[in-house]
Amino acid sequence: MRSKSGILLHAIGLVLIIAFSLFPFYWMVSSSFKTQAQILASPPQWFFTPTLQNYADIFADAKVVNAIINSLIVATSTTLLAVALGTPAAFALARYEFKGKSDLWFWFISNRMTSPIVLALPVYLIAMYANLLDTHIVLILIYLTFNVPIVVWIVTDQFKSIPPDLEQAARLDGADQFTIFRKIYLPLGAPGIAVSAIFSFIFSWNELLYALVLTRRNVQTAPVVATSFMSGYELPWGKIMATGTVIVLPVTIFALIVSRHMVRGLTMGATK
Amino acid sequence: MSFLQLDTIKKTYGDVSVIKGVSFAAAKGEFVVFVGPSGCGKSTLLRMIAGLEDVTEGHLYIDGKDVTYEEPAKRELSMVFQSYALYPHMSVFENMAFGLRMAKVPEAEIKTRVTEAARILHLEPLLDRKPRALSGGQRQRVAIGRSIVRHPKIFLFDEPLSNLDAELRTQMRVEIAKLHRDLGTTMVYVTHDQVEAMTLADRIVVLRAGLVEQIGTPTELYDRPANTFVAGFIGSPKMNFIKASVTGVGSGSLTLANPSFVGGTLSVETVSTGRVKAGDTVIVGLRPEHLELNAAQPLLSLTLDFAENLGGATQLYSRSEGDIVAIVVHGRPDVKPGDTLRVGIEGRHIYLFDANGLAL
Ligand SMILES: Nc1ncnc2c1ncn2[C@@H]1O[C@H](COP(=O)(O)OP(=O)(O)OP(=O)(O)O)[C@@H](O)[C@H]1O
Ligand SMILES: [Mg+2]
Repeated sequence: MRSKSGILLHAIGLVLIIAFSLFPFYWMVSSSFKTQAQILASPPQWFFTPTLQNYADIFADAKVVNAIINSLIVATSTTLLAVALGTPAAFALARYEFKGKSDLWFWFISNRMTSPIVLALPVYLIAMYANLLDTHIVLILIYLTFNVPIVVWIVTDQFKSIPPDLEQAARLDGADQFTIFRKIYLPLGAPGIAVSAIFSFIFSWNELLYALVLTRRNVQTAPVVATSFMSGYELPWGKIMATGTVIVLPVTIFALIVSRHMVRGLTMGATK
Repeated sequence: MSFLQLDTIKKTYGDVSVIKGVSFAAAKGEFVVFVGPSGCGKSTLLRMIAGLEDVTEGHLYIDGKDVTYEEPAKRELSMVFQSYALYPHMSVFENMAFGLRMAKVPEAEIKTRVTEAARILHLEPLLDRKPRALSGGQRQRVAIGRSIVRHPKIFLFDEPLSNLDAELRTQMRVEIAKLHRDLGTTMVYVTHDQVEAMTLADRIVVLRAGLVEQIGTPTELYDRPANTFVAGFIGSPKMNFIKASVTGVGSGSLTLANPSFVGGTLSVETVSTGRVKAGDTVIVGLRPEHLELNAAQPLLSLTLDFAENLGGATQLYSRSEGDIVAIVVHGRPDVKPGDTLRVGIEGRHIYLFDANGLAL
């Protein structure tokens, strides 16, 4: 039995942690509804009349709207492709023995050991020679090299936890490999696939370095545009915060939708 | 030709030989049970019949056709796994329908067959549930139902009852026997529980370390075990073995010596007197349920170690010169540890084995 004071301490701790992690968020969202003067006021104004001017400003700015559309295109395509390419690879790695399996596995892991900045210049040059600079494709391709390994990692692990008997039962039931993958492994691997899809989406959505290096005017993504506000003489805090809020929104929505699949114990009941 | 035939089937994993040449044939409709200790290769053999493991050497025939290299699904078998291996994300109905869907059976036919199986197995109220919302016994039924709906040529069972509690196990055992009687399908059943083997089997295949020790009906194995391994494996509690030396060979009888025999010697009738000579060692096998206390003509004199009260029966563990002899008697005999027991047995219930354990 936990004592009453124990529960109380636990609750206080939880509240502190939640407050600590949500406060910056609150600050960003509330500031996006303030005027520049209200934002800079000291002591901070906790109560104020909200204004939508900042949002009106940024949505009037074609640059911001375009950037969000670009980000959506890049992040969605990357995530879909990473899952589509990564899950069959994970199935093979989890369930089959083949030549070069361990090398392939090592490649998937070591891939992320290099710091991205090290590769920025070679990638830039390759993209330039391939005539791909400032296109969606180049960002999608480069993000895939980061995201496919993540999907493969997480999903392989998830697939390995599926009892092999299920696959054999399905084989006896007359299912071919592809059907087994589609009807057994994909649904039962859903939690891992969901987690890796969220990672993939967040990564592609927030990535700044390659987005800066590889894009110019046409395919600027949201983080690039958000930083571009910080170049003038006076920082337009309200617009920055409003852009930030708008940037965070799609990721949050995506994560909320997908996290419905992140339930534990999907394979419960398969075996005794 | 037999319905299911195994012709010197072998299986090796790398250098490890797991099945070392098993030959065996089952008739159509027969209930065959593989028994043997853990790790002897029962599951491996069953999975080779199913097609889930490659056969390293030998041939496998089903219904007159060589299926050694046939795809599992084409063998028209179904298997109930040691872990039930239900599809956890599908309802009971979908679990049973899956194989039929794969075989492109029309939807109406699927419904009929699943409903029929559900009726046989009392699963009708559970068809919409997911496996996680079922009890162990219900999961077991679904696993069997999934096998039934496909109308397979042969049912394979791999220790289907091993994780159920005692009561449910007995109940499911009876249901499986009923199922076999009603469907009349050939069944191959793996277990290491000799009670299941005795009660279900038309024929039992006793395996040890990848080899067949003996094949026979339950009664044959009980009455005429080929060796001490089979004798010890079939029957519960285990058969008692006492080593004795041959002191005299008569016509149709042997005189054996061991300090626990009353008077030091025992005369046993046997037809195999030609296979032993004076001075040889033999093994005397005595089933605990055949031994009687306070016999008119006691043959053994034993000291009681301790007694276990089983309610209706009592199990006595007694000692003689380093051998432990178990005795099962009805009721509660008035004995206490240290007492000398004078134990009798009918002559026809005495088993004899040579020094290597082969039946005489
Ligand atoms: N993939 C494998 N690689 C190597 N050895 C294996 C493999 N599968 C099984 N074995 C070995 O084969 C032997 C037989 O295994 P099997 O599962 O058939 O035993 P079993 O009789 O079913 O035992 P149990 O009663 O415990 O289920 C065991 O010694 C096991 O270690
Ligand atoms: Mg086994």
